[in-house]
Amino acid sequence: MSTVSASAVEQQPSRQDRQRPVPLPVTRQWLGQGWSGLIGWSAGIAVVIFIYLPIYPSMQSPELVGMVDALPPELVRTLGFESITTGAGYAQATFFGLLGFALLTIAGISWGAAFIGGAEESGRLELTLAHGVGRVGFALQSALAVVVKLLVLGAVGWLLIWALNGPAELGLEPANLVAVSTAWVGLALLSATAAFAGGALSGRRSWGIRIGAGVAVLGYVLQAAANNSDDLDWVRRFSPYAWAYGGEPLRNGYDWTGLALLWGGSIVLVGVGTWALSRRDILG
Amino acid sequence: MTVAIHTRALNKRYGSHTALHSLDLTVEAGSVFGLIGPNGAGKTTTLRLLLDIIRPTSGEIEVLGQPPRRDGAALRRRIGYIPGELRLEGRMKGRTVLRHLADISGPVPSGTIERLAERLDLDLTRPVRTLSRGNKQKLGLVQAFMHQPALLVLDEPTSGLDPLLQREFLAMVREARERGQTVLLSSHVLSEIQQAADDVAVLAEGRIVAEGAVSSLRIASVRRIRATVTGASPEHIRTALRAAADVDDVDVATDASGELVRVAATARGELDPVIRAIATGTIRDLTVEEPDLEESVLDLYARSGEGS
Repeated sequence: MSTVSASAVEQQPSRQDRQRPVPLPVTRQWLGQGWSGLIGWSAGIAVVIFIYLPIYPSMQSPELVGMVDALPPELVRTLGFESITTGAGYAQATFFGLLGFALLTIAGISWGAAFIGGAEESGRLELTLAHGVGRVGFALQSALAVVVKLLVLGAVGWLLIWALNGPAELGLEPANLVAVSTAWVGLALLSATAAFAGGALSGRRSWGIRIGAGVAVLGYVLQAAANNSDDLDWVRRFSPYAWAYGGEPLRNGYDWTGLALLWGGSIVLVGVGTWALSRRDILG
Repeated sequence: MTVAIHTRALNKRYGSHTALHSLDLTVEAGSVFGLIGPNGAGKTTTLRLLLDIIRPTSGEIEVLGQPPRRDGAALRRRIGYIPGELRLEGRMKGRTVLRHLADISGPVPSGTIERLAERLDLDLTRPVRTLSRGNKQKLGLVQAFMHQPALLVLDEPTSGLDPLLQREFLAMVREARERGQTVLLSSHVLSEIQQAADDVAVLAEGRIVAEGAVSSLRIASVRRIRATVTGASPEHIRTALRAAADVDDVDVATDASGELVRVAATARGELDPVIRAIATGTIRDLTVEEPDLEESVLDLYARSGEGS
């Protein structure tokens, strides 16, 4: 990507024959310099998928059922292992609900916190904003880079699971796999945009990480609490994790309300971060 | 006269601390304007306000005929800026960083980045985080000059550069002025401003304490002079120095052999009387220390205080 824009600059023969500025330069910049990280995260997701999903056929045994039955019921409910003996339940419990959720959320938070809070701390924001980009443009283009990167990782996860669907005898509906992947990316995006807004409000990367991680952990804890107590079932409503997976998209398909909350909430958080950055002094 | 920068009653407060007090500043288009003052005088605050990196508490700013906050992106394409504390981190190579910035402020005439880098002897293939302080500053100069902006706002641009490159920088500023670019440059080194600037404003404690053409502005330059002289009478030199106005801390001593006369003095104005006094002998060695700007400005500040 950087070579494309670089050669575009070189091709200008003279000042009279100048070409227009490249579109979305900030987004390109974040993507261009972050591709190696993106490959690393993709590899991490691939490793988790290849460790867990291919062993599903060998797990469909009376021993597994017995093992899950022997676990404390609270633990089973917290980890979402109730339907681990079906392909959808297994993929949900081992990947989307646990390690896949953790990996994508951590990646999203690290980018969300870095793109404004981190850039500001490193002095890069001051240098970039002294050039021809406005605060709103910088924030929106940075947020777009977060979305694109998470979508790439989401696509990698979706593609690998789809490829393993037959060999690993998971029996997943292709449409439902798209539905759960959309929820998975949306869930990570909500934490990422919370980190983005936290960084934009404070100008500090560490605050972005705290707020993003807070959203992710709180969402997980709330749904785990709701799973374990009928009295607390109502707290599920406030859990992004439950918005994503409460409707069991891998079994039932799209949960439009949940998706609207995740993606709509992300848009709101990007708006908050953009507004915050456009109104304040850049810290030195 | 066309005005490149104009501020009126510009105030900037951070909580209870006032960084700028009602600053009125006018920079003529096509000129080189120097902003000098000791550290903490408000130079960086002023420059960051012009770039809309920070916002004023009150007052008006016009840069190239526009308020910096409205349509700031289009305006900043016409400005080149070096932050006072340039930091560059990350594994990106210098060339990549510059091309990203060129994508934003675009268009940069072909070959300009390479030409500027070569002129400043900057290696574009090294990751920016491995660059020394001086090399980072060179990269800062390249990104400020590369798109040939109408206005250059340079905050302590020579900090970290060795004397040879400081001279190259001054040449770049002269060339920019010849092309019609306006340069606003801050420094705490008086000699740099005296060599580069047409007009100058002296900032102290967030206020302009003196302003005018460099040639007309009599900044009390406090210089420390040390000389070794032979073939002169110590008494004669001592008397001449003590008689001169604005010369203090006179110390004239003879070494053991009685041949070398060591002279030390502080000049608070013209150097001329000191040079004339020691030139009665043969000057073997002479050091004139860079004027201490802080002392000079405080001196000026005190005098302007007396006047009002």
